[in-house]
Amino acid sequence: MNPLALIGRNFLNVSETIGGITLVLLRILRAMIPPKFDRDETWLNLYKVGVKSFPIVIMTALFTGAIMVIQSGQYVKQTGATGLLGWGAGYAVLAEVGPVLIGLMFSGRVGANNTAELGTMRVTEQIDALRALAIDPMLHLVVPRFLAMVLMLLLLTALGDLFALVGGALTSQFILEVDWRVFFDGVFNSGLLDEYLIGLSKGVTFGASISVVSCFYGLGVSGGAAGVGRAVNNCVVTSAIGIFVWDYVITYLAN
Amino acid sequence: MREDPQAAALPWLKPVLQRMPDRPVVLRVQGLSKWFGDVCVLDSLDFEMREGEVLGLIGPGGVGKSVLVKMCCGLMEPDEGSIEVLGQNLGELKEKQRQSLRERVGLVFQNYALFDFMTVGDNVAFPMRQRGGHTPEQIADRVQERLAEVDLPKVRHLMPNELSGGMKKRVGLARANINDPELIFFDDPTAGLDPVTSSKIFNLIRKTQSHRNSTCLVISHDIDRMRPACDRYLLLYESKLHFSGTETEAMQATDPVVRDFFRRDNAQK
Repeated sequence: MNPLALIGRNFLNVSETIGGITLVLLRILRAMIPPKFDRDETWLNLYKVGVKSFPIVIMTALFTGAIMVIQSGQYVKQTGATGLLGWGAGYAVLAEVGPVLIGLMFSGRVGANNTAELGTMRVTEQIDALRALAIDPMLHLVVPRFLAMVLMLLLLTALGDLFALVGGALTSQFILEVDWRVFFDGVFNSGLLDEYLIGLSKGVTFGASISVVSCFYGLGVSGGAAGVGRAVNNCVVTSAIGIFVWDYVITYLAN
Repeated sequence: MREDPQAAALPWLKPVLQRMPDRPVVLRVQGLSKWFGDVCVLDSLDFEMREGEVLGLIGPGGVGKSVLVKMCCGLMEPDEGSIEVLGQNLGELKEKQRQSLRERVGLVFQNYALFDFMTVGDNVAFPMRQRGGHTPEQIADRVQERLAEVDLPKVRHLMPNELSGGMKKRVGLARANINDPELIFFDDPTAGLDPVTSSKIFNLIRKTQSHRNSTCLVISHDIDRMRPACDRYLLLYESKLHFSGTETEAMQATDPVVRDFFRRDNAQK
């Protein structure tokens, strides 16, 4: 194929995807004014998205904190600056690594599942059935998922950050033999509240991004089971890209 | 009989109007065309249905019958022409207005389209719950009534994947009927079913229609078994409306396509 044509085609594909995602976001925002959504479906999604993701997020957070401490441990030991251990690990976890890794885990678990669910509903005509029954799929399916993902990724990030610090403290105590109180002193005396809040704002943004991307791919499925597979794959890749792009934007703006 | 300008333009409408005098038009399709890329699926269709009529829509596979039904429900847009449902032109309605109109219209899907994350009872209750204005007891009673009408009084707690194909079709019928729609579309309600279950489904359609005086459009390939249910037939062939009339008119037709469709099935019988 002509390389220029290939570039042009890829450019059009990317533009179409970005345009489609933006349209889904606008339709969600429009559907929320005035606030009207399916309460039962929202509760169900809060449970599916949040409560069921809790174990995997906690596991990710504990190891993230532990890894940060191990990474900085050798320098701390060489220099004897144990007071910096909590600050170093806390800074990296709260502002950057925690929200990003939790967001990636969330996108793999919840975003992919959401795309597969909506995609299957699409190919089995369940979404058409909703419309035929005079029910707006946007209000019944998409808005509750959007709200659940935004709220729950915020809460999971808030909790995950704390568990990451616990993981860091345990590693500090048992692997590096630096007292856990010293570790927490380093965290709390370093003024990391701003980093924590920046991390939470990333959680909200990632939640919105993952929900919109997963709904866009789920609602756009065509071509049966193979189409669902392709959509899930695209959702995971695009969500990951979205997380890094938004991480860059927020980090840039916050600094 | 009231003189209808439509009847003058469309000669085949006359016998329909004679059978259903003074009944209001429930569905009017005019100059309807639909293209998928370069392929014309439906070409300038004109027909209408009167209140209380059961219309059989037949034709070879892939001729656009399901597309026509989806356009009549406002789930798909035509490229040309207009569709008037219960006196409202779909093309002039916004999505919110279409939603209000759909509360008066039912659709039974070819592939059931039951919500697989809900029990049968919740599936049937869902449209009524969403519409609001009913107590949980009223909803439960209506669900039980509708399930009993389709001979499935004891399945409300089962999940759709625990049902056979015929049972799913009947649940779809109960769900489409829960809000007493004035117009119901059945998209191949007997596809893949055995002859006995197919006959039961068509009998149910007729029973439902006479019970509530609803108007029904039924897509099927099973002409033999749909006979007791239908008042009139439309035959779609090569993207066009090839025939419209009663079974008797079809049997008397000299057109080889119509003869082939109706008499072949009769021969099989």
